[in-house]
Amino acid sequence: MVIIQALINGVLMGGVYGLTALGLTLIFGVMKVINWAHGSFIMVGMFAGYWLWTLTGIDPYLGLIIIVPALFLLGYFVQDALIKPVFRSEVGVREPIGVLILTAGLWLFIDNFALLLFGPFYRTARTPYSGLTYDVGGLLISAPRLYAFIITIVAAYVLSTFLKKTRLGIAIRATGQDRDTASLMGIDVYRIYNIAFGIGIAITGLVGSLLVPFYYIHPQAGFVFDIRAFIIVVLGGLGSVPGALLGGLLIGLIESVGAQFIPATLTQGIIFAVFLGVLYLRPQGLFGFEKEW
Amino acid sequence: MQVKEEKINKDKFARSFRSPIPILLALVAVVFCIPLVVKDPSWLQLAILTMWYAYLTCSWNLVGGFAGQLSLGHAAFIGIGAYTSTALYLHFGLSPWIGMFVGGAFAVVAAITVFYPCLRLLGAYFALASIGFAELIKILTENTTKIFGIEIRGPRGLSIPPLGHAPFHYQFVNKAYYYYTILIMLLIAWFITYRISKTKLGYCLSAIRNDVEAAQSLGVNISKCRLMAVSLSAFLSAIGGTFYAQLLLYIYPEAVMGIMLSCELAFIALIGGRGTVMGPIIGALIYVPASELSRIYLSGGRFLGVHLMLLGIVVMAVMLFQPGGLMRPIGRVYTRWVKKLEPRVQKV
Amino acid sequence: MALLEIRNLTKKFGGLTAVDNLDLILNEGEIFGLIGPNGAGKTTAFNAICGFYTPDSGSVIFKGENIEGLRPDLICKKGIGRVFQIVKPFKDMNVLANVMVGAFCRREGAREAKEKAQRVLEFIGLSAKKDFPADSLTLADRKRLELARALATEPKLLLLDELFAGLNPKEVEEAVVLIRKIREEGITIFLIEHVMQAVMNLSERIAVLHHGKKIAEGSPKEISTNEEVIKAYLGEEYVIT
Repeated sequence: MVIIQALINGVLMGGVYGLTALGLTLIFGVMKVINWAHGSFIMVGMFAGYWLWTLTGIDPYLGLIIIVPALFLLGYFVQDALIKPVFRSEVGVREPIGVLILTAGLWLFIDNFALLLFGPFYRTARTPYSGLTYDVGGLLISAPRLYAFIITIVAAYVLSTFLKKTRLGIAIRATGQDRDTASLMGIDVYRIYNIAFGIGIAITGLVGSLLVPFYYIHPQAGFVFDIRAFIIVVLGGLGSVPGALLGGLLIGLIESVGAQFIPATLTQGIIFAVFLGVLYLRPQGLFGFEKEW
Repeated sequence: MQVKEEKINKDKFARSFRSPIPILLALVAVVFCIPLVVKDPSWLQLAILTMWYAYLTCSWNLVGGFAGQLSLGHAAFIGIGAYTSTALYLHFGLSPWIGMFVGGAFAVVAAITVFYPCLRLLGAYFALASIGFAELIKILTENTTKIFGIEIRGPRGLSIPPLGHAPFHYQFVNKAYYYYTILIMLLIAWFITYRISKTKLGYCLSAIRNDVEAAQSLGVNISKCRLMAVSLSAFLSAIGGTFYAQLLLYIYPEAVMGIMLSCELAFIALIGGRGTVMGPIIGALIYVPASELSRIYLSGGRFLGVHLMLLGIVVMAVMLFQPGGLMRPIGRVYTRWVKKLEPRVQKV
Repeated sequence: MALLEIRNLTKKFGGLTAVDNLDLILNEGEIFGLIGPNGAGKTTAFNAICGFYTPDSGSVIFKGENIEGLRPDLICKKGIGRVFQIVKPFKDMNVLANVMVGAFCRREGAREAKEKAQRVLEFIGLSAKKDFPADSLTLADRKRLELARALATEPKLLLLDELFAGLNPKEVEEAVVLIRKIREEGITIFLIEHVMQAVMNLSERIAVLHHGKKIAEGSPKEISTNEEVIKAYLGEEYVIT
């Protein structure tokens, strides 16, 4: 019984992890760039949702309407102003480490700026449904986690459809596969990159807000998600959407079920060990392609 | 005849400036003399920390610069070194001077078994793997209270009882002793990187960094070169860990194995110019004082992490404007200065 | 004396047989050409010789020794050098340093490696540019650099993968002269080429690959009049100048 409870929690949380990884994998799939600051943006989303709730009383789920576009714009701007120049100078290079380093610098800056502004305190947002749980045949399902999961699935579906069916989505995928050909087809490659990055960051904003009702909000919160997101993305295969979601579920389950048997921090260790193992045995992840790594 | 002699003498004088060695020797001499003049322990501490970071970054540079793989997990080696020598000292009374070599050996073992196989991964993947490696070691340490009866005490860390001036126990009261120890370590590390850059291993590592297949087709043994670089780097880093333990007499996992430390090393090298011999030292000279001073003067709960924030900004600025690190403009300024000293009249 | 023997070499990639039961013999001191349409398997054969691929079956015998499946760096040490189809200069380093990496194959000390590298650069004609960063060179010079690097490893057999691609007619002529000079040093040359002017003039013998199989072998004259080859590849009778 306890195991099933843990499984459920693992799935619910795993969905959120998967969504985080989705944003990251989109950015990588299109630009072949690792965004180190991904977790930092999640933290930004969290604080945005938190302050919105605390100062104006707007429910985090409603606040999404403001936060998601706001973070899209932030992502767009960051890509345009900071990443693009470095990216441009590394066009021919096989491994664009420069962008990785740049985003690492960005991570340091954002996380510690937040530390400066908000202090190291752990905050919680007590929404009317924060403590609400549903009782399903003896199993307790936390309401905000459930909502987060549902919204995650919806968002993943929306994103997937967007990429497959809309013109912009197809343009994004095309650019990801072959930027030169895409630009020959009249696609403004750098605008696409801006948009793709913006979407990736908008997703982090979404995730951040979803976490507000039930997660501790503090400047280092993003880092933990960051690491998990990277592990998931590598496990699932960089650039693979189903890989990101399944990887997320896997991590969520390991965490949740593992915590029943061993201390929580040690489950982290297991995740890292699994991560290293996958990198060693199958670097392209579960769904990735041979060449990618 | 007299005119010619004058010109030849001027030539010789100018030529002695073209090689930076005399200047470096002069600088080293100055650095050696500092503790004789500066007695304030906090300034000495700052100098010690700067040199410590420079030392660690030099050894990081073997993997991150020469071999070209961005490692963000080097703190693992530092931590292994610190914990090994400290644990052995506390449990067996083994002098840290010996314990540090044991720590070095363990670090090499860890490097060869886990770190080395990851080197064949692409840059971003390797960076992630190195983080995974270091975090794994940190987590294992945090969750261990005892190994084979030897106290590790998990997240609470290990304290070394202060014995005052006890050279055989690797403890000193007067900071000047620590100063000279780390200075010598730094000179050794710097010298090692310098020699490597001029010999076969350095050239082979550069080749591997640029193009693995081409290097192989020229007879470069990829595994052997990488193993050597990684082992040496791990060994040196571990010894640096022991120094830290003996300096502060208290270690805990986050301090010696944390990802922030790993990142600091990588970023210092980047700022100075990774892959260059002087880069780590210059980077440390810029970063560490700034970081320490901001930590001291902007201290208190509200200003935690300001130094890291500044580091982030500097890193971004370097990547945007001077990705080769600050060695390049400094090198340019130096060459221009040397040219100015050359005799104007070249024709005899 | 057969320097290189390839027996029944087969290499498959999934369902595609890139090299199909290839048999070739190279004699010491000759210049041997390998031609064929794109995708015929020529570079795959080279990769199998140099150790970048392990053949699915068959053997590669160099100086009487089986080398198939050995690591590329060991094969280089045995005396096979290679120039790649797409040049791979070490961009971080200058020209001299690039060649020194090759020189280190047979030497341990930096000074000897430097001397060897400088001699090779003189032989190739790149001495004047030895301090230039490798990525500042023109294509022709990069090919020279690649050649110099391989020569510094003191090979007995040199594999040239489309060396002449992208060179203008004058550069092609200079390269032909250079290859002949290299052969005079006692190095056997095995070249893959599409530039007919070069391969027909240089080679003493030529083999033609098509869909991984050898469809003809002989002197340049025999090849250029061979019906199979013309059908698959040349398009018309090629006149040797």
